[in-house]
Amino acid sequence: MIQFEGVGLSYGDGPPVLKNLSFRIAPGSFHFLTGPSGSGKTSLLRLLLLSRRPSAGRIVMFGDDTTGLSGDRLLAIRRRIGIVFQEFRLLDHLTTFENVALPLRVQGLPDSAYRENVTELLEWVGLGQRMEALPDVLSGGEKQRAAIARAVISKSELLLADEPTGNVDPELSERLMHLFAELNKMGTTVVVATHETSLLKKFAVPRMVLKDGEVRFHD
Amino acid sequence: MTETVQAPPQKERRQGTAPIVPVTSVASRTLMLLVTIMTFLSCVTVGSVVLIQKSAIGWSADVGREVTIEIRPMAGEVIESNVRTAISLAESVPGIGRARVLSQDEVEGLLAPWLGRGLDLTNLKLPQLVVVEIAEPQALDVGLLSRTIATVPGASLETHAAWRQQLNVMTGTVVVSGLLVLALILLATILAVVFATRGTMASSREIVDVLHFIGASNQFIASEFQKRFLTIGVTGGAIGGVAALMFFLAASLVVSTVLPSESSAQLGALFGRFALGLDGIAAILIIVPVVGGLTALTSRLTVRRFLEQISS
Ligand SMILES: Nc1ncnc2c1ncn2[C@@H]1O[C@H](COP(=O)(O)OP(=O)(O)OP(=O)(O)O)[C@@H](O)[C@H]1O
Ligand SMILES: [Mg+2]
Repeated sequence: MIQFEGVGLSYGDGPPVLKNLSFRIAPGSFHFLTGPSGSGKTSLLRLLLLSRRPSAGRIVMFGDDTTGLSGDRLLAIRRRIGIVFQEFRLLDHLTTFENVALPLRVQGLPDSAYRENVTELLEWVGLGQRMEALPDVLSGGEKQRAAIARAVISKSELLLADEPTGNVDPELSERLMHLFAELNKMGTTVVVATHETSLLKKFAVPRMVLKDGEVRFHD
Repeated sequence: MTETVQAPPQKERRQGTAPIVPVTSVASRTLMLLVTIMTFLSCVTVGSVVLIQKSAIGWSADVGREVTIEIRPMAGEVIESNVRTAISLAESVPGIGRARVLSQDEVEGLLAPWLGRGLDLTNLKLPQLVVVEIAEPQALDVGLLSRTIATVPGASLETHAAWRQQLNVMTGTVVVSGLLVLALILLATILAVVFATRGTMASSREIVDVLHFIGASNQFIASEFQKRFLTIGVTGGAIGGVAALMFFLAASLVVSTVLPSESSAQLGALFGRFALGLDGIAAILIIVPVVGGLTALTSRLTVRRFLEQISS
């Protein structure tokens, strides 16, 4: 379970980006996170990934208070979260296959343990022919699919995605949403930040709407 | 108008276990070159110290096993009879073994490296030299020997003591300076490695961040970087060490083949023909892992500090 209690965030001395957020995200739920550009969607995802500390309040992840958490305990929580960054952030010198396998590799698994899984997933997202390509020869959509594959490969409990359909055609973006829905059905909690209205219309999913630093829930 | 479209260069296909830290980057190539040069300098320093020390020990030992009696020609004296007296007096002193006069040929041989061969010395009135072997150094009273010899007209005893003391001082100075130079080189290596490592880490910040986000521990990240730096240190060290060995090999070849024999004999007298010997090679072989290990250790600490700084 994820719980925000009076959480605020500001960058440096700047104005608060998020103000006094209090909400719960139930395990196994699926939410769209929407709001205008600059409303703080990426910022909220950073808090959920624990890559930023809130300026106020406390965040409980999977039942653990994360205030002041560091080292191995922080690492253990991170490993339960998969993330798709808005700018993908694939490692330039690694192939698609190596990038996608990275979350398993950093947990100390050998190549043989994940080769099949990674290959299968890459074929599923349509990158079967691009496994040995480096990111700089991939198209925007291909990079995005590689980034998504990397986020879901370790079957995390919480999947965060920042505008995951921004660079792909509508057909693929629908397939990706179906992938998220499938993962959600298998128990993964999913939060997808998007401002794509076509998606919002197509998928009847509860929404968290950010505006003026506050969040409102719509079922 | 036609336009030729060139396909982008195809990157090489690699296996799924490519290093997480990129193999080639400007910073790591610079670091490798730096380690190579530093190792080379360290090895040449150590090798030279070993050479000089070995030669000095050699001279000192040769010289210490004997003393020389010099008998100058004097008006009204028959030098041959003085030589015989000196020999028998010297041999009567406890601790002395055999004493013998150096022949004209031997004297010429001794002087050849300095004066050249084929010089006719018969007309020069050279002092006669008596070489006195010391059989039991502990039993010998040098003062007694000196006083005994002084009774022979024109004879004086040369124990080489002053010369040996000078030699010891000189060798000591060379060894200490050599070690000082070595220490400075190693210190400079450490500083350069710290800077190179910090540079590499800073330019790899994105890799570090992504690794953190996908659940890599600091330990994992550090070990990935250390692998790179260890490879760099060991490779650079090995190249530098081999280069130094080849340097000494080339120097000894030059001394023994290219140089004319007289000057080679002089250099040989000074540097023992540039033969490093087993201990010299061993010293170089120790330097290589020391520099390689120092590089790895330094960058390990630097990586740890960098990771601690960014995650606090
Ligand atoms: N690292 C940062 N340092 C300072 N200010 C930041 C930083 N990241 C975001 N901001 C500011 O915080 C506010 C919210 O940014 P954020 O990226 O969270 O918005 P967003 O909803 O994701 O926007 P978009 O839809 O364009 O991606 C913006 O005003 C932005 O300028
Ligand atoms: Mg954003």
